[in-house]
Amino acid sequence: MKQLELLQHTDNVNELLARYGVKFGIYKDNTFKEQLFPFDSIPRIIENEEFDYLEKGLKQRVIALNLFLKDIYSKKRIVKDGIVPEDFIYVSGGYMAECEGVMPAKGIYSHISGIDLVKGKDGIWYILEDNLRVPSGASYPMIARELCRRSSPETFQAAHLEDNRNYANLLRRAMDYVNMGGHTVILTPGRYNAAYFEHSYLAEKTGAHLVNGSELIVEEEKLFYITADGKRERVGAVYRRISDEYLDPMNFNPDSLIGIPHIFDVFRKGNVALLNAPGNGVADDKGIYYFVPKMIRYYLNEDPILNNAPTYLPFYEADMKYVLENFDNLVLKDVAEAGGYGVAFGSSMTKKQKADFIELLKKEPRRFIAQEVIDFQDLDIMEEGRAVPRKADLRAFVLMADEPLVWKSGLTRFSRNPDSFIVNSSQGGGFKDTWVLSR
Amino acid sequence: MERLHFEYHMEIFYTVPVSQCYFTIKCIPKEDARQHLLSMDISVLPETAFSYGEDSYCNRQIFGHVKETHDKFLYHITGDVEILQTDYEEEAKEERIGMYRFPFGKCLPGRKLLAYYNTLDFSECKSEYDKCIRLMHRLHQDFRYVPNATQIETTAEEAWNMGKGVCQDYAHIYITLLRYMGIPARYVCGLLTGEGKSHAWAEALCNGRWIGFDPTNDCLISNGHIKLGDGRDASECAINRGLIWGGGTQMQEISAAVLQNQ
Repeated sequence: MKQLELLQHTDNVNELLARYGVKFGIYKDNTFKEQLFPFDSIPRIIENEEFDYLEKGLKQRVIALNLFLKDIYSKKRIVKDGIVPEDFIYVSGGYMAECEGVMPAKGIYSHISGIDLVKGKDGIWYILEDNLRVPSGASYPMIARELCRRSSPETFQAAHLEDNRNYANLLRRAMDYVNMGGHTVILTPGRYNAAYFEHSYLAEKTGAHLVNGSELIVEEEKLFYITADGKRERVGAVYRRISDEYLDPMNFNPDSLIGIPHIFDVFRKGNVALLNAPGNGVADDKGIYYFVPKMIRYYLNEDPILNNAPTYLPFYEADMKYVLENFDNLVLKDVAEAGGYGVAFGSSMTKKQKADFIELLKKEPRRFIAQEVIDFQDLDIMEEGRAVPRKADLRAFVLMADEPLVWKSGLTRFSRNPDSFIVNSSQGGGFKDTWVLSR
Repeated sequence: MERLHFEYHMEIFYTVPVSQCYFTIKCIPKEDARQHLLSMDISVLPETAFSYGEDSYCNRQIFGHVKETHDKFLYHITGDVEILQTDYEEEAKEERIGMYRFPFGKCLPGRKLLAYYNTLDFSECKSEYDKCIRLMHRLHQDFRYVPNATQIETTAEEAWNMGKGVCQDYAHIYITLLRYMGIPARYVCGLLTGEGKSHAWAEALCNGRWIGFDPTNDCLISNGHIKLGDGRDASECAINRGLIWGGGTQMQEISAAVLQNQ
């Protein structure tokens, strides 16, 4: 791969990305900083057959997660049948009682799912986590591919790979499928959001209007978009890029200035689709992750195609015992945290830290999961003209329309720090394009 | 069987005019095994079209958007309710129990409440119902009713620390402790004969049925209780919720009445 002509254009592509505003905003110490999201032009390459396997597994997983959400906000059969203890539902920060009994259009909860995977040194793919709320990242490989094609057309003439520029079509299909009549809009919290580039890019590519909360209004149980000349036009689907709690100050956080009053009431009446549906956080909780393979068996009566990383729930006595005995080999995660925060490796704790942590673990066993540390495969990145190995994961995107659609690409994120396993962009990592070979 | 006539009236005065407001009002008696709404009339001023709906607890609500400038907002609800049975007993839906089993919102047990719990003795209690009665008696005895002692935002733990409060605080403390004891419990907002404002009590799950307990009055709910809504704490069935532009300081006037009309 190192011979790719494309690699000579890395700096050029990064300059263009900066010019297009491909940035990642993060809040640190209470200030907002925008940083570039560094692109490495050596692609992650996935063979055609290997991706077929991933595709089957991802579809299966996302179908089961959607069934779980539908079940949790209605009959709760999976709780009644003793598969998932209710402690993991009602204490989860992602569970929203407001969504009880509310059925989204076509029964779809997670229209856009970002599933994070890694490939172990053993060659096996493992699911790291599911992101079913507002997963971001698809726009980065989309635009990177576009710019790389422009910089180095030869590279793409020689390679037989799936075109990833169809993401906008897949997204449009998912949005149109649930549209309740009217326009489709992408709702952004505004330009200070970490993913604002993505919101505007996806709006441009799908042809949906990019709007903020003040451009939408609820009237007579329907949602309307106020056009530039003051006219009102019905909205049937909102791909909202703001989190549940800020969506509607009349139903959720009353202090939200970016939401739309009563939009949730319109949703409840079935007059608008929200992508993704509110309340999904109960299914992508780190505690619930443990139960996803069980969900697949329960709802689909199938064996899971893709593996979870071996995970233990200290909530169960046997697992607690295992965790205490193997503490140094495990990574511990606080189920309430995201974005690479609240993650601690047993092996890197001091004696005191370890004792404190174990005390906390015994006091709040529901709050943590423990996982075997997966030694995942390194990918080469270019650093000062040299290829060096770094840890990388893959965020695959699964869209739900009349059938589940897996995007034949994905966001590959890598850690720039050679000693770190944490690849989150909010922790300063970079990204790569993901090539799926077409034959 | 009992027929009750009810009225609920709320006026909000603003020192600075409000240019627009959104409102959600949950003040319509709930239809359930115990009570049946015979008739009802709602008016909102400034006059505004509004929609009817139900929240996820099946609490009935109206919601709307006032677009004209106003310095007073009021709503008035009046109607008749038939109380079909004296005590409240509703068979619980299995999928709607778990949510009332865990600490939530203003009902989190803190150090002081747990210390109080440890002084209680339930050894004589043979059933959940007995425990509910026992706790209700104790709470009535150990907590003082003092009007205006607490605010809407006061939590169970804070109210307990002060040792005094109103019906909302009794209900919050009561359900916090019941849940801690493993008994699912929910907050109820309603109206009561002889009470000039809204009232609050609790329902606890005893032997598969929701039973209404009124810890403020140390009694089971009676013919005089009209249930408006329920939730995991007071915030989930608050009678009104609004979002206003402008307003300055505001003053509220509330009046309620429940009358027996045979």
